[in-house]
Amino acid sequence: MDVEAKRIMAVSIGKLYSLRTQRGGLRLHRSLLLSMTMRAARDIYHTAQLLRDAEEEQVVPCAPDAATEEPMEISKDSPQTLTPKEVAVKPQETLEEDKENRCASERHSRKRRGKTAVEPDFLPLKKAKMDTDEEKQHLQGEVLRTNNGNSCRQAETLSAFPTNRAIVAC
Amino acid sequence: MDEEIDTRKINNSFLRDHNYATEVQPVQTLDYIDSIKAFFFSDNGQLRSFTQPEPPLMRRQEAFNRTADIISTVEFNSTGELLATGDKGGRVVVFQREQESKNQPHRRGEYNVYSTFQSHEPEFDYLKSLEIEEKINKIRWLPQQNAAYFLLSTNDKTVKLWKISERDKRPEGYNLKDEEGRIRDPTTITALRILLDHKTVKLWKISERDKRPEGYNLKDEEGRIRDPTTITALRVPVLRPMDLMVEATPRRIFSNAHTYHINSISVNSDYETYMSTDDLRINLWNLEITNRSFNIVDIKPANMEELTEVITAAEFHPNQCNTFVYSSSKGSIRLCDMRTSALCDNHSKLFEEPEDPSNRSFFSEIISSISDVKFSHSGRYLMTRDYLTVKVWDINMESKPLETYQVHDYLRSKLCSLYENDCIFDKFECVWNGTDSVLMTGSYNNFFRMFDRNTKRDVTLEASRENSKPRAILKPRKVCVGGKRRKDEISVDSLDFSKKILHTAWHPNENIIAVAATNNLYIFQDKVN
Repeated sequence: MDVEAKRIMAVSIGKLYSLRTQRGGLRLHRSLLLSMTMRAARDIYHTAQLLRDAEEEQVVPCAPDAATEEPMEISKDSPQTLTPKEVAVKPQETLEEDKENRCASERHSRKRRGKTAVEPDFLPLKKAKMDTDEEKQHLQGEVLRTNNGNSCRQAETLSAFPTNRAIVAC
Repeated sequence: MDEEIDTRKINNSFLRDHNYATEVQPVQTLDYIDSIKAFFFSDNGQLRSFTQPEPPLMRRQEAFNRTADIISTVEFNSTGELLATGDKGGRVVVFQREQESKNQPHRRGEYNVYSTFQSHEPEFDYLKSLEIEEKINKIRWLPQQNAAYFLLSTNDKTVKLWKISERDKRPEGYNLKDEEGRIRDPTTITALRILLDHKTVKLWKISERDKRPEGYNLKDEEGRIRDPTTITALRVPVLRPMDLMVEATPRRIFSNAHTYHINSISVNSDYETYMSTDDLRINLWNLEITNRSFNIVDIKPANMEELTEVITAAEFHPNQCNTFVYSSSKGSIRLCDMRTSALCDNHSKLFEEPEDPSNRSFFSEIISSISDVKFSHSGRYLMTRDYLTVKVWDINMESKPLETYQVHDYLRSKLCSLYENDCIFDKFECVWNGTDSVLMTGSYNNFFRMFDRNTKRDVTLEASRENSKPRAILKPRKVCVGGKRRKDEISVDSLDFSKKILHTAWHPNENIIAVAATNNLYIFQDKVN
């Protein structure tokens, strides 16, 4: 189910981007539907991941994951598992410039949050180019990550969503 | 706030906020619509067809199908005598039904091209760096009040009122123009003439000059000058017959009233007003006044990030000039009464069906979005089209629809693929027949469906050249859902999703239908043997 959700999210983002270059200007209706599907998929993904993590914790006590294992935070407000309705009503995470800047400076000092707050790793990084060092670190972290015999979860590969790189490069 | 910013706000949480410049596409040159065919089918299931010979003016475009020729709207006028189509290139083509003649009974009631004109041109809004498409979203006819025909056509931003009138006589014997219409040198005219055309009498005064200017810089040496000695007497011009000329002139241009894209227009039964609808607002216009419109519905939230639904279609009640409905992307329909308040944000009735939880999926939101809403001719019922179904609602019952018809339920398991290829966003329209007993809507693979409300029978037909030879019988088609495929059935995976029928129209009184299949128009007629 979450594989499906992941795929839908990737497709949705691709479509949202391509909307911008379409003739006739941005279509509000289409954007809204894409955003809603995106959120629904994201929520399913979160829920699935939460369930999976809950299972793992019951099965094997996992060593705390390295900080590099966590994907970058996309938004400041960490969405808990919300129903789609709540998500729709809740003001969406905003992308103001100063928030992003603050994010960058606080990144190293911020406490590691729970896994529920984590955004999927394949979504494009929202920050501007100045965080390239951290990006590299993040990617290296992914490559190096293995099970270590600690968890049942399969290590995720970077190659699954090559579009990630393309989008970031824009 | 302009639309661009609003839409970006909705997408904000997912996308990096770059300012992409919109690509400006070159304006395509327009070509003639492909040939039209007329088919006949009869009551008892025997279907016939014949091919109308291609009129010489309408040469087929030999190359690939041009995007500009894709038909984007089809509409009969109130008598069914005229049929208008709009296309992506901003053109409107009007067809007129031939008068019945006893000499050629089999050619009864063919539709021929009556007028073609360029309604909208592509525009570029330099301030917002936005291109405005010339595609005609909707055409609506005004009821006929005199010899001329009037229609409203709209693209994403501007509504235009067009007058289509005939000329079969032209006046001759102008005083100031020669026979070819060139302006004559006034100094050469020495006598008074009275000009008559079929409606106006004009009196001209011509006075003499005793000084004649010479040595013009700008005067053309080849300009015709009538020899003064030939004018010796008064003459009254006469009207001479000429080839029929149909001209379309824009009479009103209603612009700058919509921030978002216009998706519907609807003429009121009072014949004085009409409404135009975009994603978030509905404006009411007087047909005579172009510089002012009244906003009657506004669903824009104070914070765009809280937007959850948009308006997808709207229509006036056919008889009650105070009533209209609008449909939303969430699958609900609101009926409003303009007498209650100036701003009709509060609906009088809300038609909504609770969602079936067993059908919930990622795409539930998208497929429940209503793409078209139509009042029945009686005004008693509403028909709505969402991605997979057509529903009939009774105005007096808001809790659930009266009838639900499955258009292509076999697509329910394919929604993910349809999402990827964008087909899930297709906006199908739906139409009533003249007696409100049959519904029609389009599908994929050039199929279109009809549902008989009384007998509960339905039929799937195909609009294509290959399957319809002259005088051939149009066979009902069937889509095979699973298991064994019978001989004439087509499997779901073989359907061509690029061939979609989004726009159809039904003659107001007779069983004549117009079906737009991409850039071809098919007209089907019921032939009684």
